[in-house]
Amino acid sequence: MAILKEAYKALETIVGARYLSDDPVICQGYQSGPAGYENGTGYERVMTKLPGAVILPRSTEEVQKIVKICVRYTIPYVPYSTGFYGPRSHCHVGNELLIDLKRLNDFEFDEKHWYATVGSGVVYSQFQEECLRRGGYVVIGGGGAQASVIANLIGDGWSPLSHRIGLPHRRILGTEMVLPDGEILRMGSLAVGDDWYWGDGIGPDLRGLLRGYTGLRGCLGIVTRMAVKVLPFQPERLQPTGISPNTALALPEKRVKWINYIMPSKEAQVKAMYEICKAEIGGAVTKVPLFWRAIAKAECKEEFWDLWLKETPETVANFHIVRVLLIGFTSEEQLTYDENVLSDIMMELGGQPRRTKPSDESWIKNADSAGMWLMCGSYVSVDYVIETLKQATEHGPVYAELKKKYTPPLMPDHGDPGWFQTFELGYQGYSEFLIYWDQDEDTTGVDHFYLETSKMNIDHRFYTALIGPHQPLYLTGPKYGPNYHEWMLKIKNEFDPTWTCHPPVPFAHDEFVERAPWMHELKTWESPKKSIYPKWLEKQLAAEAREFRESLQERK
Amino acid sequence: MPTTKVNLETTDLNNYKYDMSRCIKCKGCYWVEHTYMPGVKFSTRCPSNVWNDFDAYGAFGKMRIGHAMVEKKLDWSPKLLEIIYADPLCGACDVACKRNLDLEIGLSLEAMRVKAVQDGVGPMPAHKKIARNIAASHNCFGSEHGDRKGWLTPDIQVAAKADLLYFVGCTASYTNPEIARATAKILNATGTPFMLMEDEWCCGNTLQSVGMLDEARELARRNIDRVKSTGARRVLLSCAEGYRMWKVEYPKLLNIATADLPFEVVHLTELADELLRQGSLRMTRPVNARVTYHDSCSISRLADPWTPWSGERGWMGTVSPPLKRRRGTHGLYAQPRNVISNIPGIDFVEMIRIRENAFCCGAGRGTKEAFPTLASSSARHRLEEVKEIGAEVLVSACPWCKNNFAQAVREDGEAVKVMDFAELILASLEA
Repeated sequence: MAILKEAYKALETIVGARYLSDDPVICQGYQSGPAGYENGTGYERVMTKLPGAVILPRSTEEVQKIVKICVRYTIPYVPYSTGFYGPRSHCHVGNELLIDLKRLNDFEFDEKHWYATVGSGVVYSQFQEECLRRGGYVVIGGGGAQASVIANLIGDGWSPLSHRIGLPHRRILGTEMVLPDGEILRMGSLAVGDDWYWGDGIGPDLRGLLRGYTGLRGCLGIVTRMAVKVLPFQPERLQPTGISPNTALALPEKRVKWINYIMPSKEAQVKAMYEICKAEIGGAVTKVPLFWRAIAKAECKEEFWDLWLKETPETVANFHIVRVLLIGFTSEEQLTYDENVLSDIMMELGGQPRRTKPSDESWIKNADSAGMWLMCGSYVSVDYVIETLKQATEHGPVYAELKKKYTPPLMPDHGDPGWFQTFELGYQGYSEFLIYWDQDEDTTGVDHFYLETSKMNIDHRFYTALIGPHQPLYLTGPKYGPNYHEWMLKIKNEFDPTWTCHPPVPFAHDEFVERAPWMHELKTWESPKKSIYPKWLEKQLAAEAREFRESLQERK
Repeated sequence: MPTTKVNLETTDLNNYKYDMSRCIKCKGCYWVEHTYMPGVKFSTRCPSNVWNDFDAYGAFGKMRIGHAMVEKKLDWSPKLLEIIYADPLCGACDVACKRNLDLEIGLSLEAMRVKAVQDGVGPMPAHKKIARNIAASHNCFGSEHGDRKGWLTPDIQVAAKADLLYFVGCTASYTNPEIARATAKILNATGTPFMLMEDEWCCGNTLQSVGMLDEARELARRNIDRVKSTGARRVLLSCAEGYRMWKVEYPKLLNIATADLPFEVVHLTELADELLRQGSLRMTRPVNARVTYHDSCSISRLADPWTPWSGERGWMGTVSPPLKRRRGTHGLYAQPRNVISNIPGIDFVEMIRIRENAFCCGAGRGTKEAFPTLASSSARHRLEEVKEIGAEVLVSACPWCKNNFAQAVREDGEAVKVMDFAELILASLEA
């Protein structure tokens, strides 16, 4: 059943015919896959649908009106800012309305109070440039410079620059969102006036509701505007140089400098990170996977594989790099001082400085996640952990061990234990594990590995980021809560009793496991005895599950 | 490991199934390259997706649409044709993607148009009219073929035989004679003998761009043969679209390499730069104006030489034999800037989006004829940038750009003078 004509007409009165379409070709342009973040997995193939219609509002008020119509006519909808975050930011049920927020692109910089208000359509590189030209900076999330600032801040929002700038929820100030019932919620100091300056406002801090650990992927309303804190950087220009594909920011070396150190052992590597943090120097301190170096060196995919297949488990195990970004925030002298401190630390620990280009190709302005797809064609970060630095360094090897069982289809990576770095001057440690595969292969192993990592994390007591709407809620909830899953559903039912806002998230991964026969062998947990959905959704999901089963039969 | 045979022929959309299925929606094709991102203003480089905001109009949407076409999940419809053809194929998406992923976006878009023609639904009516004009009178405007050399004035010296052959093209022959005259006078002033084709025909740019490859190939063969018969060693173009045709598309249509052409293809911007360095181009008359330069797509990011390739795609999508990707690095970026900067009196100011990040004027490759509102929207968008930097004169090296900008300036009453590169040089030469 398509979106009711009457409802469609009502939507059209809000944005005009130019910004609403149910044309199949327009809708095809909003397909999640076949490639992209987490695409090429079973989850994407089973759980994503083309939109029934697409609408492009221009303001919070238009979003509010759209949502109210959706609730009135029970039209499922999903907010969409850039679409980069793969299947989880795309339609999951048939005849869903995709609310494309790219036209919410207003931007204001408050130079007096050192924050900026951004709309959902503003991306990071735009924001960062506005900051840099004023002597400030923000974190461009690991998702990349092309990510929506708001979407990234309510989901992830970190990068190596979090070493000093800190975690994303600390930078979210006044925020405006449209709740699933169409009411506008103003958070922080915005709740009591026209003041975006404070993240804290009256009553409970709803930023937790907004993002939790890694966000709720649009199932609890739509953030339309947000004030984001800007941090002081340094005054000199970082000059763009080169012609694509060989472009970089030339760094003013007396104020900004990357230095790579090769450490003699993992112990020395981790110790160096601790010592740098204790000394409170640096703008970023990170270890990077060895294959990223191969990506950076290679001229093309084929050259990458030539380089990478020359590596061995030994070379990977013995690769202990510490990349440090030094920033003379206050003066050239400060950078000199920091560099001297760093040299002392490294000398004690046996770190050898390597020739490092006086430029930045990634992280300061061009967080370049797109390069991750060069090697195999498909990629997802299967998990990330923000905990202690100690845990961060232990997390990756456990993943690497489990991954052996699923390689292939996962990329041969010689046992690379992932990526770790320091956050908040060492008060936090970060670990991320990335996997790569070719989507044209049998990807059952990818789906299995993704889910098995949850069980592994539970066994190892790793409190990871993707336990919420990214994994089966009834697998992770009882173990992490013990009633985390029940609370999640209570919150969902309280704010979105009709479940029109991006259904069936946060229960979508449970739904996927139920639908996909190749996942059944991994199901070791209890699902709720009764349906958790309202009737309309229960009926629609049952029909779609049946349709999927029939399509599998046909393929057989 | 099984492999798939693949080549770069745009006559089979399946050749690009891999590329279309690997687009990750990073939208690098839409944004100015992030290193050069200028902030919230002037941050995009896709004329189609600025004209229409739905994702379907960006390359990331078109890759999904093209993939669905290959999978036979989409039927032809007026909307599908609009999405495929409302696009100047300016190459911004292609070079953007090749920064990270090396997907053949530009060729995928071309292959979709070829398929439209093969299936009998394309090109657009305006393109068919151009094709009829070319068939009847050898130029895209349907003007009298006999008037083709009407631009020549008695003061211009044309050699009967020379190493350099100036291929004037349809626009400079009919609608923009000032460009042809300026080019010829620069050659005369620098003591560079040149000849013309005895019977010049259209280069075939629109035909090739809209997917009418058979017709374009015929013109390519004819034009190359005619140049060969003159013994010319270099073919000069003052039109960017013509330059791309001769340097890139003719070899592509004939399945040969640019290096295999029996002559060299040069654009006026690079020849002028060469003459300047040799000392024969002496620009002594001051041009007192604040001038900016617009990179025409076909002499910049679309200008990498062509090399045929066929091979196999195997494990993890790797190909063999090695494929030299065309990433837009051979564009004529430095040459025009060097020439303009050497004109006395000029206050040269760069636009915000330049070189591979330039925002296309929106007129080229059949767009203005079929989608005039797209062309005018792009021109106006670019003119905002011209005003932002306070330039008085906007210079481009392509008559299509010049006409499109000039029309927008005229309609909006803007205080910007639009000039071709050749006209600007001519203005700097002593009378």
